Amino acid sequence: MAYWFELAAGGLITGGIYAVVALGLNLQYGLMRIMNISHGEFLMLGAYLTWLGYTVLQVNPLVFLPVVALALFALGVVVYWLCFQRITRTAPAVEVIEARSLLVGFGLMFLVQNVANLIWGADYRGYSFLTEALDIGGARFMTNRLVVFAFAVGASLLLLAVLRWTLIGKAVRAMMQSPTGAQLVGIDTRFLHPVVFGVGIALAGVAGALLSMVYEISPGMGEPYTVTALIVIVLGGLGSAARCLLGGFLLGLVETFGMHFTSPSLKMLLSYAVLIAVLLARPKGLFAR
Amino acid sequence: MGTTSFIKRAALGVLAAAALAPAFAQDAPVRIGYAISRTGFGAAGAQLSQEPNYIMWAEQVNAAGGLNVKGKKRKVELIGFDDRSEVETLVRTYEKLMTSDKVDLILPPWGTGNNFAVMPLAQKHGYPMLAPTATGRKLLGMKNPYFFALLQQPDVMMTALAEFMKARGVKTVAVVHVDELFGLEQMGALELALKEKGIQIVEKKSYPIGVKDLQPVLNDIKAKNPDAFVSLSYPPDTFLITAQSRAIGFNPKLFYAAVGAAFPVYRDKFGPAAEGVMGLGTWNPKSSPAAKAYFDAHVARWKKEPDRWASAHAWAGLQILEQAVAKAGLDRKALRNAIASGEFNTIIGKIRFRNGENISTPGVVSQWQSGEFEVVWPPQNATSPAYFPKPNWK
Amino acid sequence: MKLRHSILATLAAALVLSTMPWLLSDFALAMTLTCLMYAGLAVSWAMFCGATNYLSLATAAFFGLGAYVTTWTSGGPLPYGVAVLLGGLLAAAFAGLIGAAVLHLRGAYFAVITFGLGELVRHAVTYYEKAFQGTVGRVIEEPPEAVTIYHTVLLVSAIAVITALVVRASRLGLALRGIGADEERAQTLGVNARHAKILGFALSAFFAGALGAAMAMRWTYIDPPTVFNPFIGFQTVLIAMVGGAHTLIGPLVSSVVFSLLTEFLRLQFPYLFLILLGLLLILLVLYLPGGLASLIGRWRWRKSNA
Repeated sequence: MAYWFELAAGGLITGGIYAVVALGLNLQYGLMRIMNISHGEFLMLGAYLTWLGYTVLQVNPLVFLPVVALALFALGVVVYWLCFQRITRTAPAVEVIEARSLLVGFGLMFLVQNVANLIWGADYRGYSFLTEALDIGGARFMTNRLVVFAFAVGASLLLLAVLRWTLIGKAVRAMMQSPTGAQLVGIDTRFLHPVVFGVGIALAGVAGALLSMVYEISPGMGEPYTVTALIVIVLGGLGSAARCLLGGFLLGLVETFGMHFTSPSLKMLLSYAVLIAVLLARPKGLFAR
Repeated sequence: MGTTSFIKRAALGVLAAAALAPAFAQDAPVRIGYAISRTGFGAAGAQLSQEPNYIMWAEQVNAAGGLNVKGKKRKVELIGFDDRSEVETLVRTYEKLMTSDKVDLILPPWGTGNNFAVMPLAQKHGYPMLAPTATGRKLLGMKNPYFFALLQQPDVMMTALAEFMKARGVKTVAVVHVDELFGLEQMGALELALKEKGIQIVEKKSYPIGVKDLQPVLNDIKAKNPDAFVSLSYPPDTFLITAQSRAIGFNPKLFYAAVGAAFPVYRDKFGPAAEGVMGLGTWNPKSSPAAKAYFDAHVARWKKEPDRWASAHAWAGLQILEQAVAKAGLDRKALRNAIASGEFNTIIGKIRFRNGENISTPGVVSQWQSGEFEVVWPPQNATSPAYFPKPNWK
Repeated sequence: MKLRHSILATLAAALVLSTMPWLLSDFALAMTLTCLMYAGLAVSWAMFCGATNYLSLATAAFFGLGAYVTTWTSGGPLPYGVAVLLGGLLAAAFAGLIGAAVLHLRGAYFAVITFGLGELVRHAVTYYEKAFQGTVGRVIEEPPEAVTIYHTVLLVSAIAVITALVVRASRLGLALRGIGADEERAQTLGVNARHAKILGFALSAFFAGALGAAMAMRWTYIDPPTVFNPFIGFQTVLIAMVGGAHTLIGPLVSSVVFSLLTEFLRLQFPYLFLILLGLLLILLVLYLPGGLASLIGRWRWRKSNA
C-alpha cells in the first residue's frame, strides 16, 4: 500500500513542478497569444540566481524566492517592452502574433541561453539543500521534493486566487475572454499586458529556483521544461490556470505510472502519445467545457 | 672626416644584423585546429574534461618558448570552434580546417559519436587524432590508422569491476543503465564480465537520459537486496540516483556510479555523503608528482578541478602529441607512425598503442574517500585500499 | 509564360551549381551543400505552411525518417538514389497518415502537435533500435562519394523548387492559399479543404524526407538525436519565415543568406555567435516583419516608381 502511495505521490510532485512551469506560459499565451518559446530560459535564470544566492551570499533558497520572483518580474516587463510589445501592436492578425512571437522567442532563447553559457560555463552546478528523507505513512520522500511541491502548489493556488478574487485578476480574465470587450469597459490593456507577461516570467523563475534545490543546473536545462509546459497547457486547455494545474498533475502521474508499468525508457514516448491522443480526442484540452 | 669610418661601421652593422637575423626571425606558428562542443548537449562534458586542457596546454607550451618541432621551437596557435553539438557543423568545420586552412595538426572533438564522424576525414587527409573521450569497440573496429583511443574501453573497466567484486565475495548485482550508446556498451561488457566470474544479475533496468525520478525503480531494487549496485549512468542521472538511493536508505555493500562520480561537482554537492561511492576513474593528485603538478596548474588556471577520469587522458594525449612532434616533426605520416609505435611518458603513466587502442592504462575502480577519488583496485595501481562494504550514507 | 521562365531559370541555376564540385574547395562545397539543403527544406515548407498559415514543426520528423531509410538500407542491395526516393515516399506517407488525423487543428495546437509528433517518432525509433536491434547508433561503412551526395541534394532541392512553382500556379496552390485566407469560405466555394491539406502536407514532407535521406550519408555515424534534431525543424521555419513564407524567392534567398551569415558569425566570433544570432533574429522580426521578401518587394516598387 505504501508503495502505491509513494508512486502516486511521486507523480503528483513531478506534476506540481510541471504545473508551475506551465502556468506562466499559460498566462502569456492565453492572454496575449504570445508563444514564448524561451520560457524555459527564464526558469534557468531563476535557478542560477538561487544557486548564486546560496553559494555566494549564503542565503536560504526559500528565503531568496521572493527576491528571485521580483527580479524576474522586472526582467519580464523589460523583455516585453523591448521584444513583444511591438508585435502585439503592429500585427494584423492573431496567427501573425503567434508566428512572430515564436520567432522572437527563438531569438531570445539563443540570446539568454548563451549569455548564461558565457557567464557560468557549460558544466553542471549543484548544491544540496534539505536532502534528508522524510517518512510519511511508510513512504519515504526527500524533504526538498516535498518543499518544492508545497511551494509549487502554493504559488499556483495564489495565482488562482488572485485571478478569481482581485480586481486585477478579474480584469485579466476579462481580457482573456474578450480583448475588445475588456477595452470597452475601460480595462487598460497597455498596463496589464506587461504586468501579466512579467508575472509569467516571474513564475518561470520561481519554478527554476525550486528546481535548483533538487536537480543540477546548466545553461541548457530550460528547454525540456518549455516543451513540458507546452504539453501541459495543451492537455489542460489553454487559458485556464486551474485546468493547467490539473494538466500538470495528470502528466506527472501518467509519466510515473507509465514508467513503472512499462519501462523508464518509454517515458517520453508515453508523454507524447498521451498528448497526441488528447489533442485528437478533445482538441480544446482534457478538461475544457 | 668620419665618412669612411661611418660607412665601415654601417657596413659592419648591416653584416651583424644579417648574421643575427635568423635568431630574430619569427618562425611560422604551428597551427592546431579543432571543433568542440561549447554549446548544446555535449558542452557540459567537453568543457569539463577536454577543451580547458587544450587551451591550458597551448599556453604552457608557448610560455616555455614553443612546441619542439624536431629540435626547433615554434609557437602554437590554437584555432578552435564551437560545433554546437551538431554533426553537420562539426564535419564542415574539420573539412575547413583540413582542406582550406590546411592546419598542421588537429585535436579531436568530444564524445564517441562526434569522433566517429570525424574519423573518415582524418584518414582521408592524413591527420592523426588522439581521442580522450571516445569509447566503444565499434570505433576501434573501423581500423582507422589515424585514430588513437586513449580512454579505457568498456570491457577493460568492467572487467576490473567484476574482478574486484569477485575478490570481495559479491554474489548478486543489480544494474541500471542509461539508454545511450555508452550505457549499452558498458552494460554489454559488464554482463560478459560478471557471467565469467559467476556473479548473478538480479535486476537490470534501463532509463532515458535526463529522467527526473527513479525512486520507484530504486525501491524495487532495494527490495531485492543485492550485494552490489551498479549505475551505468551519465550526469545528471548519476546525481539523481545517488540522491534518491540515499533518500530511501538503499545502501548495498558496493555502490558504483559510472560517469559523473569522477566529477568534482559530485563531491561538492554530496559532501560527506559521497563517502564510499565507487565509479569510473583513473587518477587523482596523489597518483604521481606529475599528476599533482597538472592538478595544481588546472586549478590555478581555471579555478576548478579537473575530473578524475577523462581530463587526465586529454592531458596525456597532448603530452603524447608533444613528444611525437619533437621526434617526427610535422610530417603527419611520420607523426602517425611515431604515435603508433612509440611509448610515451604521461601523467597517467607510460602509454603505448596497439591497433589504435591504449593498452597500457589499466582498468581500475575508484572510490570517494575523505574528499578524494582514490584508485582502489587493482592493488598494484591503488592509491588507497578500498572500503568494503560501503559505509552507510551520511 | 511566367511559370515556364521560372522553371527554366531554376534548371539553369541547377546546371551551374552542378559544376561546383570541380570548382570549389571542400569547405566551400560543404557550405553550398548546406545552403541547398535548407533551400529545399524551406521552399517545401513554405509551399504548404506559407500558403495555408499552418505552422508545422514536423520537419525534423520527416527529415529523420528519411535519414533512417538510407541508414537502414546502406550496405545492402538498394542503391543510394532509390533509397533517397524511398525516404521521401515514407515521409510523405507518414505525413498523409497523421495529416488525416491532425489537420483539423489550427494555430498553436497544430504547432504543438506537429512538434510532439516529431519527438514521438524520434523516441519510437530510439526505442526500436535499442530494444530490437541492440544498438543506439549505426555506422555507415561505405557511404556514397561526396560528389554523389552533393548532386543528389541539388537534384532534390531543384525538384522541390520546381514543384513549389508548379503547385503555386495550379488549382492545388489556389486551394491552399484560399484555405490560408479563410478556410470556411474556401470550403463553401467548393474547395475540398481536407484533401487539399493532406496532399499539400504530404508533398511538402516528401522533400524533407528525401533531403534527410540524402544528407544522412554525409555523417558516417547516425543516431536518433543527430538526425531527429529539432533544430533542423526550427531553422527551416526560421529561414522560411524570415525570408517571407508567402513567397518562393524569399525562402530561397533567406536560406543562402542565413546559412552564410550563421557560418560567418560562427567562424568570426567563436564564443559570441549564438548571442549575435539571437539578437539579429529579434531585430529582424521586430523591424522587418515581412521578411526579406518584403525588402525585395520594396526595392521593386522603388524601381518602378523611380
